[in-house]
Amino acid sequence: MSASRTPGSAGLVRLVAAREISARLRDKNFIISSVVILVVLLGAMGMQVALGSGGDSTRIGLVGGSAALGEALEAQGEALDVDVTVVAVDDEDAARTAIEEDEVDGVLVAEGAGEPELLVEQSADGALQSVVQGAVAQLALADQLAAAGVSDLELPQVGVTALDPDADQDGQRVGMAIIGVSLLYGLLILFGQFVAQGVVEEKSSRVVELLLATMRPWQLLAGKIIGLGLLGLAQIVLIVVIGVAGALALDIVDIPGELVGTAVAVVAWFVLAYAFYAAIFAVTASLVSRQEDLNTVVMPTIMVLVVAFVVGIQAASEPEGTLAVITSYVPGLSPMVMPVRQAAGSVAAWELVLSAALMIAAIVLVVRLGGRVYAAALLRTSGKVKMREALRAERV
Amino acid sequence: MLEFDALRKSFGANQVLDGVSFAVRPGSMFGFCGSNGAGKTTTMRIAMGLVRAEAGDVRWQGRALDQEARRRIGYMPEERGLYPKMKVGEQIAYFGRLHGMDAAAASRASAEWVERLGLGERRNDAVEKLSLGNQQRVQLAAALVSGPEVLILDEPFSGLDPIGVDSLAEALLDQSRAGVPVVFSSHQLDLVERLCDSVGILARGRMVATGTVDELRRREAGRLLRVVVPDAGPQWAAGIPGVRVVSEQAGDTVLELAGDTDDQTVLAAALGTGRVTHFAWQQPTLVELFRGAVAAPALQEVAA
Repeated sequence: MSASRTPGSAGLVRLVAAREISARLRDKNFIISSVVILVVLLGAMGMQVALGSGGDSTRIGLVGGSAALGEALEAQGEALDVDVTVVAVDDEDAARTAIEEDEVDGVLVAEGAGEPELLVEQSADGALQSVVQGAVAQLALADQLAAAGVSDLELPQVGVTALDPDADQDGQRVGMAIIGVSLLYGLLILFGQFVAQGVVEEKSSRVVELLLATMRPWQLLAGKIIGLGLLGLAQIVLIVVIGVAGALALDIVDIPGELVGTAVAVVAWFVLAYAFYAAIFAVTASLVSRQEDLNTVVMPTIMVLVVAFVVGIQAASEPEGTLAVITSYVPGLSPMVMPVRQAAGSVAAWELVLSAALMIAAIVLVVRLGGRVYAAALLRTSGKVKMREALRAERV
Repeated sequence: MLEFDALRKSFGANQVLDGVSFAVRPGSMFGFCGSNGAGKTTTMRIAMGLVRAEAGDVRWQGRALDQEARRRIGYMPEERGLYPKMKVGEQIAYFGRLHGMDAAAASRASAEWVERLGLGERRNDAVEKLSLGNQQRVQLAAALVSGPEVLILDEPFSGLDPIGVDSLAEALLDQSRAGVPVVFSSHQLDLVERLCDSVGILARGRMVATGTVDELRRREAGRLLRVVVPDAGPQWAAGIPGVRVVSEQAGDTVLELAGDTDDQTVLAAALGTGRVTHFAWQQPTLVELFRGAVAAPALQEVAA
């Protein structure tokens, strides 16, 4: 009668998934939330740069002067913990142009025999002035000592022993993990809610009966979770790529290798955590038929997510504490805790494998039990279905 | 042939279907009647695989319906359901694809049905913005878009204005003329009588009557005689043997005759009272057939 071919399971799941994605991409709330997340992320990075760049990086132009003066400027900068770059400038006119165009923070003119002069736009900030003053003074002192016949002056060096040479980097690692876990938490809540709302929308609009006349409940469930999951994955990858690229480009972190490692871990854990929570959200949402009733049934799951988040943040301060170690194996909590432990220190490969395996086992269990509840509850559109009833109900 | 064969189903202690059987020929329209809660929706849901029967099955062309065969059935559930925020054209195309059409064919068929049902201008509107009548048309398009081999429609006429009823009736007749067996349930019995080739009346989980409307009439006919005798006194017919007075109002009398009673005896008695302005076997309407069929077992129950 018609030129139709029968779509297989994969075809149906793909159709459902494609509908979910296109429906969300046209949803203003989704677009707005995505933009907000990116703006917050970029803003945070911008602030890092703004806060960090205050006195740390200074470009000093140099007209004339010896090579020794340039070296002295850089050495002085290092001593004062200021990142100094010395740029050779041809003459005073060029120097003025360079300052006006903000290419350099100031230009030291050391031509001829006169006193060296520092040109700045308005005023020299403390760091710039100390660097230049120190360099010029040091060079002059060395010259005068040489002239007086004193050389090879022996000055005692102060030895520095760092008790925790990596403290700064540890801080960055934990910071990255916290950002990653926060992102994970935010996106899990967001996409979990999308899944839950989608399930209830189909029930409350009764369209589910028409859908189930053409497909099995598990195909509908799988399509919905996979479609929204791909969207969630695309979003977290986009955020992570922009975040990592931005952090590297703006030179915010000192440990780029570990930043990338943490980013990959966060994305991988998102996939597992999403599969787990999306299934739970979908199943619990299938128990009610009205959006108004949704909050009460999804609240317990959201509470678990909040607890996972809090434990994850706590783990950042004490990554090898008993609580962190135990919860990093507990399915549902592990996706928030394990990335922190991974970032903070040494997590053995077997620990990672065990934690992921437990999580996958939990996903299989949730999908199998949840699929039964979902199938039984979908067509009951009156009031709230009890979980136990749904589990006991016949399978259509 | 679409066959419903000895379907049984109970929800808890409530036996909803107790051996429901009927068949619908290709190209014919079957009207499914019954009081509320008689089991019509459950029967249709069993056909669509939404409820599992305890016994019996539903066959199309001799084969029990499975998920694949169900994709070739157009279905309209009693509780209408569409995605409220999805556009009309896209929504219809989506259901076409769920029924196995490829993307191009589905959007072509969707555009065609949108035009045919007069929704052309609303094609890009979200379904929730449409009036109820128009939503109903979209629902029908969703059932028809894939060019189904069978149509199963639960209360398709409910909530439609007379013009909507006419255009839906026309669309269903088109389908049935094209060779599609159409089953629909309805409480609007005049409509069923007008449209359907055959009728089934469901009461308390059993088919109490099936057949063409004429067959049902014939079964009832020959029993009820209407006689109008304006000059007769009350109880004029009470004495005639083999006759029961069903109703009597100012000479307008409906009589039920026992099988072997001669109607000419009644005519003679009527003429004995004076003028006879009307004397005819009564053609029961479907409504009367329905009342009779649905009520009869209840009376037996009372008697027992």
